[in-house]
Amino acid sequence: MPSMSTEELKERLIRDLPGALAPARARAEHANNGGSAPKADPLAKPKKGEEGPVDLLATKDAIVLAERIPDVARYVRDTLGYTLLTDLTAVDYLADGVIELIYRFVHLEGGPTLAIKTRVPRDRAVVPSITPFWPGADLQEREAFDMYGVDFPGHPNLVRVYMWDEFEGFPMRKDFPKQGDKYIDEEDEA
Amino acid sequence: MLKTQELQINIGPQHPSTHGVFRLIVTVDGETIIDLKPVFGYLHRNHEQLGEVSTYIQSMPFTDRLDYFNSMANNFGLSIAVEKLAGIEVPQRANYIRVLMAELTRILNHATAVAFMINDMGAWQTPLAYGMREREKILDLFEMASGARMMCNYFRFGGVVRDLPPEFMPQLHDLMRGLPTFFDEFERLLRENEILMLRSEGVGILPKELAASYSVTGPVLRASGIAYDVRKAEPYSVYDELDFDVPIGSVGDVYDRFLIRIEEMRQSYKIVQQVIERLPDTTGGHINPSMANIGKQKALRPPAGDAYGRVETPKGELGFYLVSDGSTRPYRYKVRAPSFINLTPLGDMCRGHKVADVVVILGSIDIVMGEVDR
Amino acid sequence: MTVEFARGKSYVVDRGKPKTRAGQGMLGGLDVVIRHFFGAFGKKIETQADTTGVFTVQYPEERLELPQAFRNFPILLYDDATGHELCTSCFQCERICPPQVIHMSQATDPATGKAIPAVSEFIIEYDACMSCGLCAEVCPFDAIKMDHEFELATSDHPSMTVDKAGLNRPISYYQAIAPRFWEEAKDSALKKLQGNMKRRSGNIGITPSFIGKAKQAAPAAAKPASAATPAAAAKPATPVAAVGKNMSEEKLARLAAIRAANAGGAPAAVAAPVAASEVDDGAEAAAPVSAAPTRTAPSTGLPFSADNILGGVPANTAMVEDKVERLKSIRSGNLAKGE
Repeated sequence: MPSMSTEELKERLIRDLPGALAPARARAEHANNGGSAPKADPLAKPKKGEEGPVDLLATKDAIVLAERIPDVARYVRDTLGYTLLTDLTAVDYLADGVIELIYRFVHLEGGPTLAIKTRVPRDRAVVPSITPFWPGADLQEREAFDMYGVDFPGHPNLVRVYMWDEFEGFPMRKDFPKQGDKYIDEEDEA
Repeated sequence: MLKTQELQINIGPQHPSTHGVFRLIVTVDGETIIDLKPVFGYLHRNHEQLGEVSTYIQSMPFTDRLDYFNSMANNFGLSIAVEKLAGIEVPQRANYIRVLMAELTRILNHATAVAFMINDMGAWQTPLAYGMREREKILDLFEMASGARMMCNYFRFGGVVRDLPPEFMPQLHDLMRGLPTFFDEFERLLRENEILMLRSEGVGILPKELAASYSVTGPVLRASGIAYDVRKAEPYSVYDELDFDVPIGSVGDVYDRFLIRIEEMRQSYKIVQQVIERLPDTTGGHINPSMANIGKQKALRPPAGDAYGRVETPKGELGFYLVSDGSTRPYRYKVRAPSFINLTPLGDMCRGHKVADVVVILGSIDIVMGEVDR
Repeated sequence: MTVEFARGKSYVVDRGKPKTRAGQGMLGGLDVVIRHFFGAFGKKIETQADTTGVFTVQYPEERLELPQAFRNFPILLYDDATGHELCTSCFQCERICPPQVIHMSQATDPATGKAIPAVSEFIIEYDACMSCGLCAEVCPFDAIKMDHEFELATSDHPSMTVDKAGLNRPISYYQAIAPRFWEEAKDSALKKLQGNMKRRSGNIGITPSFIGKAKQAAPAAAKPASAATPAAAAKPATPVAAVGKNMSEEKLARLAAIRAANAGGAPAAVAAPVAASEVDDGAEAAAPVSAAPTRTAPSTGLPFSADNILGGVPANTAMVEDKVERLKSIRSGNLAKGE
């Protein structure tokens, strides 16, 4: 069963798609290995909350620049053979000011999933759409747009999927009010 | 002279055959479909944000209501994801009980899915009653074990909430004696029926080359000829110790999906037989002792990080993506719902067919709106 | 691409013969239906192995027996002998409830103001309850359990918010519906109850219907006779009266007993949740002590008596055998206590 570790994935991305991998984040405690061989920071944070704020952005997975997503997706599908996009998730990191998108691929011969992450700033969340050549991303990109406000230029039909079309706001963002937004009347609240 | 015009008609949201509150805006030329646009969101209950404000165990009853037909499978998905995130081990007996419940769920889902699909085709309530009768028997078993027929809330992180009661196994044995007859009868009822074959052969074809690019999973993918099953691809629980086959189709039309589901019921029966044989010899209890107290489940604080746990539900691959920030509540709780993503090719599958075929194709994809809209 | 599986294979499903036959497929299906049709005459499905036969249960004349684990809505338990409620208002169920429908407040000592392990108000919104059973699972005192009553449909929406008086059930009731579960929980639950009883003073923590019964454990003399009878006084607005048509027989019996007692006592119009605090304030009501013997006489006001133990049960109620037995045992127990 094909299985690719994140290190192997990163090496192949560096070799075959130079410049696609995002540079490492500048962190005071960890030394940077230079811009050409970026390494993601390990999950070094202790478990309990008392020992300091948790760094939610620390991850081992491959982080790719947003504008290179179509190239990376084509590479993953054609060269690596992971032909099924099983999941496209958006996560809102309010404290760090980024929205992270996780593209999860699966190989039809089996094995664990392959995750590619990309991060975009919250106020300018734009990721090129892969729907034109990957129709399975259609509804998933619409959901990320509807719930998080991520724009996907190139998508043939980027309209809201759960909320009604004239709705304003992006419900799953962390700064969306949990109760009492402008669509709920005072009398409606039980 | 006579000019024809394309017409936009609305199917749903209140419609007996749309499998829930689901709206389809269909553009037709005469009776042939030119374009189809599904409208979602009528059952959107904000399940993902509820997951962010609840602790992990409080989300468990809410997962019952995702795919409300197969609550045990949803519970299984969340358990696998949280156990991956927090590193909780599951004892062997608990694993076998989980697999038993998951496979019984598969049998009951496929029986009703096929029954509803045939109902949509016009065979009315007879096959529906046959499918529902077996479903009732299995629901009685669920009620005995978990306390509720549909909203089971049976799984906990590290095992299941309580062990099987003593009256469970005799009744399960009885059921198993009757199931092969049911499968044969159910299949014989309509498999070679000319009307069914006319209405389902060649309808709603999803070609093998396109199936993977549409991100479909589950019986729809297997009917198109791709042998992908999460239970074989990335085995979870004890599926790597059990023998079962994976049926695949050849054409990818509605008839193939109908046949696949009946064959999968037989494979699930095979799995349940193996589980019943091995259950008395399994070690461990019904739950990991360190998580046995509900207080521990409540206070679960997984280490910071993320995890994606997936299971093969009867509808496809159900995945839970959890991001933990070290507290008792997840930072991000995402459900990868199979029914939602299986609806991606609906427009392309229906193009060129008639309006009446839309209902049949929708029934063959087997969706549940609780999952589509979450 | 061929995929190799460990322990299994993938196989292509056989699509069968092409459709060039004239109706044989339909006849095959019809044959199945006809066999089931004739096989269903008079024969009921006995075990789950049967596939032909009548599967229908003619509800409501016939009912299926519910398994012990069945959970519908939560109820609170109190001890049959002393009337002490097992609930200590620890708030665990309120915290774990996913739809947040449990609300309670803790009882305080009237003299010192300190918290006492007893609950003064307890409300569950039945209309939003998911019946998930997490509250019953988490309760450290086995006070809240899942009931089997599911025939609660009513057109009176406010009555779906049930307060403590509507939730209280004796332990014998729960023991009758889920004996195995109670067996496992009994010892620790009663031991904890003994410990809690020591820390409760006066009438705090005693279910309202017990307060005022002459046959009572030690603090009988100090108890005001009718202090808590107004608690269940049947005002049309209180939940107890509103769900009257759906109450179990013993509850009807209790209600009738209380109403009969009120005919002799001095009813003060207070709502049930406030009753406990009234008790806490030590309201010495002016009801004559003679009200007590009137209330406990089994023939006054109760629809049943020792020689007509099933009286008061509506004629069109069909009960299964063991439910009848249970009812008889509960009623004779109550009669014995009343004497």
